[in-house]
Order: sequence, then structure tokens, then C-alpha cells
Amino acid sequence: MSQETKTPFLRLARRDGMEGWKSWCVRAGSIAAALLLGALVMGLAGADPIRAYGTIISGALGKKTAIRQTVKIAVPLLGCALAIAPCFKMRFWNIGAEGQITAGAVAASYFALFWADRLPAPALLAVMGLAGAAAGGVWALIPAFFKAKWNTNETLFTLMMNYIIIGVVRWLQGGPWEGRKGSQIIPQFAPEACLPKVLGVHCGWIIVLALVVFMHVYMKYTKQGYEIAVIGDSVNTARYAGMNVGFIMMRTMFLSGAISGLVGFIVASGANNTLYDGVAGGVGFTSITVAWLSQLNAFAMVGISLLLAVLEKGAETLQTRMMVPTSISDIITGILLFCMLGCEFFINYRMIFRKKGPKEAAK
Amino acid sequence: MKKKLLAVLLALSMTLALAACGGQGGNGGSGGSKSVKVGLICIGDENDQGYTYNFIRGKDAATEALKAKGIDVDWVVKWNIGEDSGCEDANIELADEGCQLIINNSFGFEPFMLKVAPDYPDIEFVACTNQASWGDNLENTHNAFANIYEGRYLAGVVAGMKLQEMIDKGEITADQAVIGYVGAFSFAEVISGFTAYYLGAKSMCPSVTMKVQFVGSWSDATAEANAASALCDLGCVMISQHSDNTTPATTAQTKGAFHTGYNNDMVSVAPEASLIGTRIDWSVYFEYIIEAVAKGESFDQDWCHGMDEGAVVMTPLNEKIAAEGTASKLAEVEEQIRTGKLQVFDTSTFTIEGQPLTSAFALDTDGDFTPDSEEAVFDGAFHESHFQSAPYFALSIDGIEWLNSAF
Repeated sequence: MSQETKTPFLRLARRDGMEGWKSWCVRAGSIAAALLLGALVMGLAGADPIRAYGTIISGALGKKTAIRQTVKIAVPLLGCALAIAPCFKMRFWNIGAEGQITAGAVAASYFALFWADRLPAPALLAVMGLAGAAAGGVWALIPAFFKAKWNTNETLFTLMMNYIIIGVVRWLQGGPWEGRKGSQIIPQFAPEACLPKVLGVHCGWIIVLALVVFMHVYMKYTKQGYEIAVIGDSVNTARYAGMNVGFIMMRTMFLSGAISGLVGFIVASGANNTLYDGVAGGVGFTSITVAWLSQLNAFAMVGISLLLAVLEKGAETLQTRMMVPTSISDIITGILLFCMLGCEFFINYRMIFRKKGPKEAAK
Repeated sequence: MKKKLLAVLLALSMTLALAACGGQGGNGGSGGSKSVKVGLICIGDENDQGYTYNFIRGKDAATEALKAKGIDVDWVVKWNIGEDSGCEDANIELADEGCQLIINNSFGFEPFMLKVAPDYPDIEFVACTNQASWGDNLENTHNAFANIYEGRYLAGVVAGMKLQEMIDKGEITADQAVIGYVGAFSFAEVISGFTAYYLGAKSMCPSVTMKVQFVGSWSDATAEANAASALCDLGCVMISQHSDNTTPATTAQTKGAFHTGYNNDMVSVAPEASLIGTRIDWSVYFEYIIEAVAKGESFDQDWCHGMDEGAVVMTPLNEKIAAEGTASKLAEVEEQIRTGKLQVFDTSTFTIEGQPLTSAFALDTDGDFTPDSEEAVFDGAFHESHFQSAPYFALSIDGIEWLNSAF
């Protein structure tokens, strides 16, 4: 009896590694569980869950125009998830992608507004993209520099940087770049400054797909990618191996910010054709979800960002057809995140229940 | 353990089945009458008790009125849409859902609506409060506004009478008749509104002056309250506003000033301060365009009416605190505006830097955001909303002091 009270009802033990297929089964199961829980929420909101899921799918993928809109939503999510992946691999918590996107959009917009009549379209777009990448990179480099030099808290620093650049855009909107006086609206870009469409969606989708391949190769097969992985596992090991940790941090953050900045250029030039303070629109935060759910795997990010885009676009149709509030998609995304991150726990740990009988007593 | 799991799953599936039963209904069409599917894209939702709420009130009233005419309206409303590519998506979505008419309720929606309109030539698109339709070469785009400056002028008359009564009773001296105005931005719509308000007040109280404080937001309850409070501290005894919240009214009440409102009746929140309010009644326009679509007729590309068609209305007058004889005076001036006898921007009633206004352009044709064509001053008045529905009076007249023009 006394022995039994000493053994807890439930113990956890680390697994040595689950077989690949098994772990993917657990992940698929967690998605199914999340969708079931989501169905419960939709039921509570007064919608028939089966019809609601049907509406989400058909609303997001049922028509050519719908698919285009879904892809348009997925593009910045994917691009930005690729941007923050190396930082997270390094365990550098960059939650400033929102600001880096905005910084990139500001720089790109400058050329869109004031250089459109001086450069031919391809050159103008190239300059806008480069300017966006540079601005996003610099915006990310600032907190990285402080972290490397004085070990400041990068989470707070990158977060605060978001609000600064969004404030800058508000000032531009009401001040020097304002169109009609008092409107707080920056005029639409000239056609030369807008990304051309390929298959009905602005060609940003081609850029981010190229980035997927780039990021995969960079993280897996380059020395720099290896350095990032080593720092992520142990900063001390990296130092012992002679790596310049501060420099690698700054280099990685610049790369991360540059990709976010490029996303900012894509959103401003491709989707909105203008700049406003909500240009990042929460993508910088949602993409953290995408990156985590994908286990920082570049190819998995394509699927996850599409999944979230389908949910978001589908929720709009759900509201149109069935009067269900669009925030339902946020709830389902939240449940999905919870279940999918939760399932990693079961992949990494084993639950051991207290056993009855002689075996336990014999110990 | 397994049994428990089974029980949980069973409970879950039963809940789902129940929920599934509850979600049906509401999709039946009615025979006999005409039916129109109308999309409405809103920047907020009705909880704002201001801008979007006023559209929803118009929507509901129009639906009732059309029902009496045998027209059923099937509304599809998109809430909380941003002024970005999300608005483009909302327009596409409503078009794909089979809406015959799509109404965009915010100024900043228009450029995104214009990206969608050419792809759906059979669907009518409306951008409320904006101005591109006269020059975009598209048959199916429309603009609409109401002559809200008429309502503001009347609210100004109510305020002016109160101020004059206070002067006559010796409560304030003539030069203490100062109005404080909480404005969103130094935008033509706002400038036109407060100028009309000031002219209305001046017609009843010649010594009145006005201070305008811009808050830099269409809706920021705290900033609006702060601006009203600052204006009261500067000696303003009457507060009015062009912003969404009721906080200027409540602030005026705590500071012992009076108030006139916008978009909504604010007497209930500030019974000792709020005299009257004015708002656009969108049901008039909605009824007009939906009926036209139902009958397959075309409707105005650029629509703007006011008191003449009941598109601008006054909220109930707070008789308890208004000056004596306000109600009858109000009815008299309203009639003059309705018949066109009284021009709100009569050039003999105001000056700019000491000079009377003789010339001002209405429209911007080259896209540099400065009006360059169509003379708005003729027949002794500046003709607001005559050449396009969106207001274009953006001049700074004598007697109105802009405390900050940063916004």
C-alpha cells in the first residue's frame, strides 16, 4: 500500500525517438481532433458543422477567383514564416517580423511613389524589392546588434520595433505622402510599380516559392545553416567551436529581416498597391504559428500556410453564406495550433500509468 | 479508460448532431414579389453606435419600405473590412455570391472596389462618400453622399440660439460665445461640416467664434474626450463634433458646457448638455437604388441629396435645455433650406482673411488632389456637393481658429 502511494498515477518519460510514420500519424490525428473541436465550436455558434466545413472548403477553393484570393492570403504567410525560421532555429525569438514587413513596404513604397516615372517597370520593381529587403534587414539588424553587443532581450526589442515603424507609416499617411488632404490615404501606385499578375495572382507567389527552395538549401546544406543549428542547440558549443556567435546572430537576423522586407514589398506592390499602417496585417505574428507548426521545415510551411489561408478565406465565405462571425476562423486556428503543438509533447514523451499487480509490488 | 473515452466521444457526437439540427432554416425564397440580393461592405460593425450603425439603421429602414412595395431585399453584410486588399476580396466574394448591387460604406474602400468593378459589368458598385465615379469611365460604379452640411447648419442654429440666450441673460458676455469643435482630420468633409455649423450659429449669434481641435482619428473615444475637455478649458461653452463617439457630449456635460451631436442621438448620454444631433438617413438612397435595380432601371452615378428628400435628418430636440422658440425657428430654417431659399454657404455671410470669397474650384481633374476645375462660387453662394457628391469646401474662413492642423 505504502509503495503504491509513492508511485504517482501518471509519469512521463522521454521517448528516444518515434518512428517517422508514427509521429506523422500522431500529427494527422491531432489535426483531426482539432477539426472535431472546431466543429463543436461551430455547432455552438449555430452552424451545421458539416455544412460549415463544406462552405469553408468550397469558399476557399471552389472557384478560380476563390483560389486566387486564398493564394494571395497564403503568400505573405509563407514568405514571412520562411523569414523567421532561421531565427527560431537559432533560438533567437524574433517577433518583430510585423515591423520588418512594414519597414520593407515603406522603402518599396518610396520608390513606387517617387521613381515610377523615372525607371522602366522591371528596373523599378527590382529597385523596390531590393530597397524593401535592405530596409527590413536593417530594421531586424538593430535588435540583433544590441543582443550581440549587450545581450538585450530580443523578444521585447523586436516587438517594440514593430510599433515604431507602424507609427512612422501613420505619420507618412497623414503627412508627406498623403493623397487627398485630410484623407490619411496614400494614393494608389502607378501601374509600373505594381507586381504583374501570373495566373491571376500577383507574381509574389513565384518569389516565395523560390524562397522555399533557397531556405531549404540554406538551412540544410550550407555552413551558415549549420552554424545556426549549432547555436540553436547550444551557444557554448558554438563558442567552443570557435564561432563568432554575435556576428552570426546579426547576419541571420539581417537575412530574416530582408526576407520579411521583401514580403512587405510583395504585399504593398502586389496586393494593396499602396502603403498603410496595417500593411503587415498580423502576418508577422501568424507566420510564427506557420513556422512552428511546420517544425521549421520549409516545404511543410507551404502546406501549413495554405491551410491557414483556406481557413481564413473560407471563414469569410462562411460569414457571407451562413452568418457565422469571421472570428470563428481565429478560434479554429487557435485550436489547431493548440492541438498540433500539444501533439509534439506526445511524440517526445511517453505517458506511464501506475500499474497494478505483482510486477509493481515486486520492485 | 477506453470506456471513458467512448463516453466522451459519444457525448461529442450527440452535441454535434443536436447542433446540426439547430442550424437549419432561413433559406427559403418567397414567391410573388421581386427579390434583390444586395451586398454591403462595412468598415466596422453596428456596435460602433456611430458610422456603421447609421448605415445599418438605413439598411433596416430601407428593407421595411421596400417590402411594402413588394420588393424583398436579401442582404449580405461583410463586417470589419479593412481599407486594403481585403476590401477587394470582399467585393469579389459578394460578386461571386450573386449580389446584384454592392455597397461599400467607407471612403477608403473605393480604390479597391474599382479594381473589381470592371470584371463584373452587370453588377452595380457603390462607394459611399467617395468621388471617382464621374471620371473612372465605368458605367457600373456610383458614388453617394448626403448634404450633411445642411443638418450641421441647423444644429448650428440651435447652438447659436442657445448662445445668444446666454448672452441676453447675462450669463456670458458677447465675446465669450465660443464654440469648441472636435474634428477627426482636416479633411474636406470635416471642414465643410464645421464651417456650415459655424455659419448656422453665426446667423443667430453674430458675436460667436469657434476653435477647432483635430484628434487624428475617426474614432478614438479617449482622444475625443481629451479634445473636448481641452476646448472647455480654453473657454468654449458649446461643444460639437465630427467624430464617432459620444465622449465629447459626456465631457461637455461634466464641464458644464452644451453640446450638439452627429450620427446618433446623444441626448440620452448627456441629457443636461446635448441639445440636438444630425445624421444622414441612408435609407432614402438605399431605397432608391435597390428599387431601380429590382426594376432593371439605371440610377444616378453620383447622388447627393439632403433635406429636400429627407436624406439628412435632425435627431429630437432637447426642449428642456434648448433656447426658447428653438423648435419653431428650426422648422422655419429647415423649410428655407428645403426650398432652396437659404444657401448654407452664402458668400455674403463669411470672409476669408477679410475678403469675400469670389472664386473657388470644386473638382480635381488631374489627380494632384488640388481642385482645378468647375467654379463653385456663383449666384452669391459657394455650391457645396453640386459638381460631385463628396464635399469639397476646404477653405479656412474668418472666425474659426484651427488649433492644430497637423492631421
